[in-house]
Amino acid sequence: MNARRMLLAVLAMGCLLATAFAPGPALAADPYPTRPIQVIVPFPPGGVADLVGRPFVAALEKHLKQPVVIVNKTGAGGAVGMQALAVSKPDGYSLMVALSSISVMPEVDTMFGRPPVYKLSDFAPIALLSADPTVLIVSSKSPWKTVADFVADAKKRPGEIKYSSSGIYGTMHVAMEMFAHSAGIKLRHIPTGGGGPALTALLGGHVDALSGGPNIAVAQMKAGTVRVLGGWGDKRLAALPDVPTLKELGYKDVEFYIWSGFFAPAATPEPILKVLREATAKAVQAPEFKAAMQKMETPIAYLDAPEFKTFWDKDADRLIKSVRNIGKVQ
Amino acid sequence: MESTLHNLLLGFGTVFTPTNLLYSFVGCLIGTMVGVLPGVGPLAGISMLLPTTFGLHPTSAIILLAGIYYGAMYGGSTTSILMRIPGEAASVMTCIDGYAMARKGRAGPALSIAAIGSFIAGTLSVIGLMLLAPSLARFALGFGPPEYFCLLVCGLVVLSYMTGGSIVKNLSMICLGLMIGMIGIDQMSGYFRFSYGVTALGDGIGIVPVAVGLFGVSEILATAGSADIREVLKPRLRDLLPSGQELKDSVGPIGRGTLLGFLIGIIPGSAHIISTFVAYAMERRLSKHPERFGEGAIEGVAGPEAANNAASEGALVPLLALGVPTGPIPAVLLAALMVHGITPGPLFIKEQPEVFWGLIASMYVGNTVLLLLNLPMVGIFVNFLRVPYRILYPIILLFCIVGVYAVNSSMVDVAAMCVMGLLGYLLRKLDFETAPLVLGAVLAPIIEFSFRQALAMSNGKYAIFVERPIAATFLAVALAMILLGLKPLVFKKKDWRERLTEAEKSG
Repeated sequence: MNARRMLLAVLAMGCLLATAFAPGPALAADPYPTRPIQVIVPFPPGGVADLVGRPFVAALEKHLKQPVVIVNKTGAGGAVGMQALAVSKPDGYSLMVALSSISVMPEVDTMFGRPPVYKLSDFAPIALLSADPTVLIVSSKSPWKTVADFVADAKKRPGEIKYSSSGIYGTMHVAMEMFAHSAGIKLRHIPTGGGGPALTALLGGHVDALSGGPNIAVAQMKAGTVRVLGGWGDKRLAALPDVPTLKELGYKDVEFYIWSGFFAPAATPEPILKVLREATAKAVQAPEFKAAMQKMETPIAYLDAPEFKTFWDKDADRLIKSVRNIGKVQ
Repeated sequence: MESTLHNLLLGFGTVFTPTNLLYSFVGCLIGTMVGVLPGVGPLAGISMLLPTTFGLHPTSAIILLAGIYYGAMYGGSTTSILMRIPGEAASVMTCIDGYAMARKGRAGPALSIAAIGSFIAGTLSVIGLMLLAPSLARFALGFGPPEYFCLLVCGLVVLSYMTGGSIVKNLSMICLGLMIGMIGIDQMSGYFRFSYGVTALGDGIGIVPVAVGLFGVSEILATAGSADIREVLKPRLRDLLPSGQELKDSVGPIGRGTLLGFLIGIIPGSAHIISTFVAYAMERRLSKHPERFGEGAIEGVAGPEAANNAASEGALVPLLALGVPTGPIPAVLLAALMVHGITPGPLFIKEQPEVFWGLIASMYVGNTVLLLLNLPMVGIFVNFLRVPYRILYPIILLFCIVGVYAVNSSMVDVAAMCVMGLLGYLLRKLDFETAPLVLGAVLAPIIEFSFRQALAMSNGKYAIFVERPIAATFLAVALAMILLGLKPLVFKKKDWRERLTEAEKSG
């Protein structure tokens, strides 16, 4: 009798324990991720973030063993998508591939006296994926053969040399103003509706220069329509070995990259971030990802979270300074 | 010429493989669907399918995506004509006379002429693209902000005759449209304008929610509110095809629409939208019976539909000849090539003849496929009008909401469409035209931006608009149009004299 009661009690306890632990902690013990992951790309398909993001998540899902889906959440120069991630649940199922412009927007908001749509501290960096320095492109019909020619001419007629950009406070604008500030020259800014229209304006002779991505520049340079005078990188580009960097020409504080990084919401738990960092480290080594980036002539520049954080802090610092130098445009 | 033929043979050799033919067909089919679905336009369609092409051969990828692009121009007219809902932004003008024709029981001819006009325009533009691409592309690049602004001014002046009814009401609608178009980030200074803290309004209220709301949703509401039950139209085969007179009336508009569309298409910018309104305005201006426009003139369908097809292919000229994506859609096509390691530049045609000529050949094939696909569909589409409104309209409303949401995954867009629908309904009740409102909203950002870009280029000197030859030409045309508009004043005098002499003679 007693033994039977004991048995029943043990069984009951066992059941209780099973019910208590089975769904909750047993699930939590299941390693993250257990369901599909959404990666926000705050830019339209076909943009840099999208083109880097898609082959990347394809490689990533092989290591996470869960589908990873890209969602293009566009609007207001990327602010809509970035804000969406900032307010997402920090459970590792909402992530983002964003570009360097992420650092600029809160500063612009503050400058205009608007409440920033997000703060940089809303995001936890997971990894840097690519970093491509912009290059100074001028029409081959222009008289400038070197950066020195360009600067000398700009000093002679301040505010006369025109350059196009992808948009106000966009990458092409901030990069050029960073250089102009360092060189002590004044250029005239003509914003356009994107990278394509900015290039169109240069080739049509409506502007004189632009700071843009090297992959387009190389195709145009081969055809002899443009000249590349200098680069914003730390080192010379492999594709353009004869083009000096602005740094080596003496503009020490000029460094600019169109980079893409992988982000999570700031409060994402450390174990989840660890899983993502490890999967990312493997994904960037995947041959398919390497091949995809090779085809687009966009160099992979992988940095793990701590190094990426250092890189990002430094980069954001440069960009914010540059935006403050530009100030409000009349 | 011989080398062109040789290259074209290479192109057809590329296309006439089973896989590429299939991709061309699939692209055209998806394009037609994308065009038919309200809200989802070619940009959204191509963007959504871009990732699926990453695994394809580059030629197949570009054939598929380009098929979606020009296919959408065929499909876009369908809902415009049947339900007054623009399937995509370039079909806004088709709504006006196409829907008026449908209400008179001439939906079949309107749909047929849209397909035929699209086919002729599409095919002629491919020939243009093939023969003239490199030389025209250089000319197109000369089109900067000042030229663009003057072109739009010229278009607007022509358009001011566009709609019937009270001039005061039309002008107030244009102004309201221009004001709606001001919403969003100021592209020259970065200020948020009239967005009331809604980040999603940063890019302004999109063309699609405005057009679908003001035309489509308001039409649905108005139908629901009207007491008279419209007779269900029973189409007969005779009524599906255009009559001889209608065909004759369409020849001129299709020809002019093609030429105009192709030329405007080459110009950097969202040309396929602008080409339709310029084509419509031109047809109305040239017509001997301008009062028929808005009441179901077939010229008002044929012209814009030819123009948007020609423009969609013209827009590929700068991309293929120079590697410059001049608008959002060519930019996505460029990305599709870049993922395959092809960066189009001025040497693209020389370096990648297979891709270029394969694409050209696929467009000949695609346009034929689209005609064969769309003409028989006319019969099916017209039968949609037999579905009772209480069933048809809720379904269409659903499609509108889904379509508008799908473009940006944005509920703000859906809300904008609903507000525009209510506004459109109110305006109709008060006897205002909604077409000028839509045009104002569509054109305001383009006009403003090109105007301010031009002034930034000239450092604030207005002379830039008359110093540059192309810009000055457009302004001169606009001036001539205004003077022509004053002509009736002179003619009236003449009439009075004539009448006097006649009276004297008879007296």
